[in-house]
Amino acid sequence: MINLRRFLAILSVASGMFAVEVAFSLVPQNLLAFPASDRAPGEFPDKWIHGSKSAMDNQDPAVQVHRFNAHTYILRENKAINYEGAFMYVFFGNGVALLIDQGSTSSPALFPLRQTVDDLIVAWEEEFDQSGTQLIVANSHLHGDHYAAWNQFVDRPNTIMVGLTHEEVMDYWGFDSYPEQRIEFNLGGREFVVTGTPGHESSEIAFYDKWTDLLYTGDMFYRGRLYLEDWDAWAASIKRLRALADDYPVSYLINNHIEMTDQATVDYPIGTTWQPDEPPMEMSLSMLDQAVRATENISQSGIYTFDDFLIYNEVPWAYTTDP
Amino acid sequence: MLNMTEMRFEVAEGAPAVLRVRVDLGQSGLMNPDAYWAAVNASSAAEQDERLKPALAEMTVGLQVLVEGEPTTMFVQSYDVDAVSLEAIGNPLTPQMAEVRFGFTGPQPVYLDQVEIRVAQTLDVPWPCLVRIDSFDGLPVSRLLTAETRSSGPVVLGVDGGLSNAGPLVSLALKFQAVLPSVSWIAIGFQHIIPMGLDHIVFILGLFFLSTKLTTLIAQVTAFTAAHSLTLALATLGWVQVSPHIVEPLVAASIVYVAIDNLYADQVARWRLAVVLIFGLLHGLGFASALDAVTLPEESMISALLFFNLGVEIGQVAVLLLAYLSVGWLRRWSFYRTRVVEPASVTIAGIGLYWLVKRLAF
Repeated sequence: MINLRRFLAILSVASGMFAVEVAFSLVPQNLLAFPASDRAPGEFPDKWIHGSKSAMDNQDPAVQVHRFNAHTYILRENKAINYEGAFMYVFFGNGVALLIDQGSTSSPALFPLRQTVDDLIVAWEEEFDQSGTQLIVANSHLHGDHYAAWNQFVDRPNTIMVGLTHEEVMDYWGFDSYPEQRIEFNLGGREFVVTGTPGHESSEIAFYDKWTDLLYTGDMFYRGRLYLEDWDAWAASIKRLRALADDYPVSYLINNHIEMTDQATVDYPIGTTWQPDEPPMEMSLSMLDQAVRATENISQSGIYTFDDFLIYNEVPWAYTTDP
Repeated sequence: MLNMTEMRFEVAEGAPAVLRVRVDLGQSGLMNPDAYWAAVNASSAAEQDERLKPALAEMTVGLQVLVEGEPTTMFVQSYDVDAVSLEAIGNPLTPQMAEVRFGFTGPQPVYLDQVEIRVAQTLDVPWPCLVRIDSFDGLPVSRLLTAETRSSGPVVLGVDGGLSNAGPLVSLALKFQAVLPSVSWIAIGFQHIIPMGLDHIVFILGLFFLSTKLTTLIAQVTAFTAAHSLTLALATLGWVQVSPHIVEPLVAASIVYVAIDNLYADQVARWRLAVVLIFGLLHGLGFASALDAVTLPEESMISALLFFNLGVEIGQVAVLLLAYLSVGWLRRWSFYRTRVVEPASVTIAGIGLYWLVKRLAF
């Protein structure tokens, strides 16, 4: 039988290791909390940069950086640089940041996205006493107008590049059953739900942020021309998003483009580099419901017009509703 | 963006490598829309070949595939060209993509070879250009080429080439794999002891502190090694499967046992060797579940496993050597047992107990 002294010594060693682990796991000074129980507030700008009448005279920055809240940033590429005017997102968690999408312009001289994101991370670290933030470079879907500046990040230290193939995307997010699966993703204590939303593009994913209640829908649902390569997949995806919104509270739907004007049913022509009368980017659940109803009513390819979006069901992308 | 170029490099066991290029020829610098439309509508295959010849020749020269740093000689295997109308060709929003397939002369790239795809400055294609490399059983690797970045950089075939800048050790491991595949598996095996195999290190130290006799230590380590090699092989090949939820706590328990045995055994009991053998079988299962995270090449699994095991053994020997250099030279000291072995064994038992509780409870 083991004697008491030795037993106590062994127990002390084990207890000491537990004590050390507990001490390290206690809330350190600069641990950020992202409680899912309360909706973290945030604000959208009154107006996004929206290009200009003369692209060459445009004075706006190449990348607009909008602080939605302390740990959520929305970026927009200047439409004078590329007509897509794509939105990109930076979500911060403890020790890690997630960049979704990398815009439509490759050249860092024209579109210094890497510099912008690096500056943003440095400023955020300084504000919140953080350091060594790892960056995950991911994409909502695999169309080139959303990863043109991807290369700007490949040599960045402490960075994970998810990749630009379907298989790499599935592997990184852990999809065994795409698109139906809901993946619980923890971004440094900030919880997301990731699910598949093909239809516009076959590798598209949506993100739901439990902290802000924002539902990010990428290119599959936004205020503009919803180009659908696969109607059945898109219809299922829209219903999947609605089911997600039934299970989780949603504040706004956020996404990648604004192509509508502020007049119901009217869009800007493709290639527009100046959109002075564009509506807000964020969308509501009632708009999502409209899309759900559309899935029940549409059965043929063609262009279908709604107040806040247009469905281009399996038609060529160059079409526009301009008379 | 709609008409961005795509390249897909495919290499598989037993099949020649192919580079497929999807390019909007009519919008590239290679052909104007009228010339491409004329090629699409050629009245014969010979006429079509003739009309596409200059563009394809330029592509053959401008696209470069390097294998192990050496440029290959490329040739056009086949192509598909199509377009709905001249107007569509002229509109970048309605890309009319052609696909050209290139083969290579010379030795075909094999598993763990480095491949690099480049677009020469003389060749302009609609940018950006997405490069996808599919090789053997690994995940595809993606790279993005632009007018400024015209090289994919070296990509090791068959290995997940994801761009995660995880640090110099990973890059070093990948380089090793490119140079000497067997050495890389030894290195990976070593890494599974130092620094990743803390529980195995502690167990080995437990064996070390039992006896100052070298023959005793050798006997124990040999028994342990033989046993874990066996179960590692059986589990990796799928012939034995035990859940890590069972194996991991038992590994921790084995550490506690060995350490407590050290405290109470003045000499090696007869059955100690049998016990160490059994524990070896257990630790082998632990290695196998750790090895799950590393993709063994199907075509050379046995050799990879052998070299991995060799790496594990080298790691174990390294631990013993370090222990010997630290305290082994004190073994003839009269207080060696009370001042070195017993405190060390108490510590090892405590660590094992901590792991045991943690692995059972959490």
